[in-house]
Amino acid sequence: MRSVFQTDDIDETCSQRNCEKWDSMNHLNLIVELEMEFGVSFEPEEIAQMRSFDEVVQFVKSKTA
Amino acid sequence: MFVFRNHTIERFFPKDYHFSGYDDVSLVPEQEEGYVWFYQAPIGYDNAAASEEIAADLRKFLMVLETVNPNKTVIAFTMTVIYSLSFTDDDLRLKEAVGKYNAGLISASLTHGNLKVIDIEEFTSRYPAEDLMDWKFYLLSQMGMNPRLSASFQQWFAKKLDEIALKRKKCLVLDLDNTLWGGILGEDGPEGIKIGGDYPGKAFLFFQLGLLELSRNGVVLAVCSKNNEQEVLDLWVSHPFLVLRKEHFAAYRINWQDKASNLKELAEELNLGLDSFVFVDDNPTERALVKQLLPMVSVPEFPVQPYELPVFLKKLVEEEFKVYSITEEDKAKTLQYQANAMRSNLQKRFDDFNDFLKSLDMHLTVEAANEYNIPRIAQMTQKTNQFNLTTRRYTDSEVKSMLEKGWKVYCLSVADRFGDSGITGCAIIKGNEMDTFLLSCRILGKGIETAFLKKVLQMLRKEGVSEMNATYIPTAKNAQVKDFCAGIGMHCVAENENGEKRYKAFLDEMDLSIQEFYHIEVK
Repeated sequence: MRSVFQTDDIDETCSQRNCEKWDSMNHLNLIVELEMEFGVSFEPEEIAQMRSFDEVVQFVKSKTA
Repeated sequence: MFVFRNHTIERFFPKDYHFSGYDDVSLVPEQEEGYVWFYQAPIGYDNAAASEEIAADLRKFLMVLETVNPNKTVIAFTMTVIYSLSFTDDDLRLKEAVGKYNAGLISASLTHGNLKVIDIEEFTSRYPAEDLMDWKFYLLSQMGMNPRLSASFQQWFAKKLDEIALKRKKCLVLDLDNTLWGGILGEDGPEGIKIGGDYPGKAFLFFQLGLLELSRNGVVLAVCSKNNEQEVLDLWVSHPFLVLRKEHFAAYRINWQDKASNLKELAEELNLGLDSFVFVDDNPTERALVKQLLPMVSVPEFPVQPYELPVFLKKLVEEEFKVYSITEEDKAKTLQYQANAMRSNLQKRFDDFNDFLKSLDMHLTVEAANEYNIPRIAQMTQKTNQFNLTTRRYTDSEVKSMLEKGWKVYCLSVADRFGDSGITGCAIIKGNEMDTFLLSCRILGKGIETAFLKKVLQMLRKEGVSEMNATYIPTAKNAQVKDFCAGIGMHCVAENENGEKRYKAFLDEMDLSIQEFYHIEVK
């Protein structure tokens, strides 16, 4: 997330609401990087639900489990 | 750089680029250093409408091209059809429209020197059609290409930018046995080596034909081989099927010395830096030796099977030698470097250096910058490292804008009885400041640099310039010009801890006389 958003200011509390760099463009960039990194594919509905750090971790875990 | 686009393509360009709105050409920001035009074919099913849209895209592009400052570079990608659906076999409208669009870009580049056209298919053809698009991301966010390809696209685009900046290697040094022909000359004899005829001779013949074309495109060829020199010289004359012979190589080292030492000697003889060398040899031990002792030389792996040579050649050219375009001067590089080697042989026969210079019958032409020589002037500022006072790099556009600002830009052509070296020097004067003074290293060693600068100063004095200032900016490669200004009679007025030197001179106090054996013409 740090490399996609180009900021060190990322922690577990980060979400689309409170992180300025987490805009719609970077959201898709994040998804692409996650898909490549973990070898998974997210459905559009899931992509829409991954709005915070915790939710991202949760979806990645469920895909890789 | 500012990118005009009609799809979501931010991922494919460096982070500091700026982007237009989708298909928005209403705003052309002036402060940008250059522009990229990256329009992708519309995706839809109404091929008539799509074709019309593509025609309109070209009109928009031409409008933008006329609007931007002609001194700024515009890079336009060609268009390719990534997805289309024809409902009948004879519906080729989209193909035709894209063809017209691309032809329009190319013909615009003929009349606009600042427009560089890049063929997108060089990138897209690496991938099967289904990998080029990811419909999920297209439908979610108009992503015009598969976002997973962005890293390799960025890499490819960076290479294209280097090619536009004319960065490339200058010299290809080749081994002979099992590299330019099959077999070993010393063992198999002239009749036994494989070149021409059936496979594998055919593979080596193709390879030599490709290398010949490379040398016609301005890359200097040289030979470094462990062989008996006389046997190779005889072969070059007598073998019926060889393509590359003695006259195609600017220099050669055929002996039993180690190849690293030979490469160093070749670099010296050709007056080229080793970092502009590529070394091709089939023997892994030789490659390892050169890699270890001369890490600045580029040493590609060589194919094991002769039938792999065409793929090897393509990769070699694309990675090391490709540039956006070349000038007439480039095309005759090998001849010029060869003439140089002949000159230095002649030099040995003269005891008095001035007698030698006189015998060369040198003709110098000093010409003010114009639309025909500006590309060459810019190219020299980009490529000249050694005899270069300030090493300032300029593009065509920047040189043009200097003229608009009233700077004086001159270039120098040199011919002597061994040949015409073409435009090989330039001087850029901003008021009474020498902004740039450089000469190609292949004409050095004949006092031409002094004659050229004195001539320029004479011309400036005539125009009423009384004082000239100059700076020597040291780089890793230009130590040889450190004292050049002092040598022609300028005074060093300051030197800082980096070795940078400031010079000043009053033209009336300088000796600007030039030896009469330099025949100088001003155009």
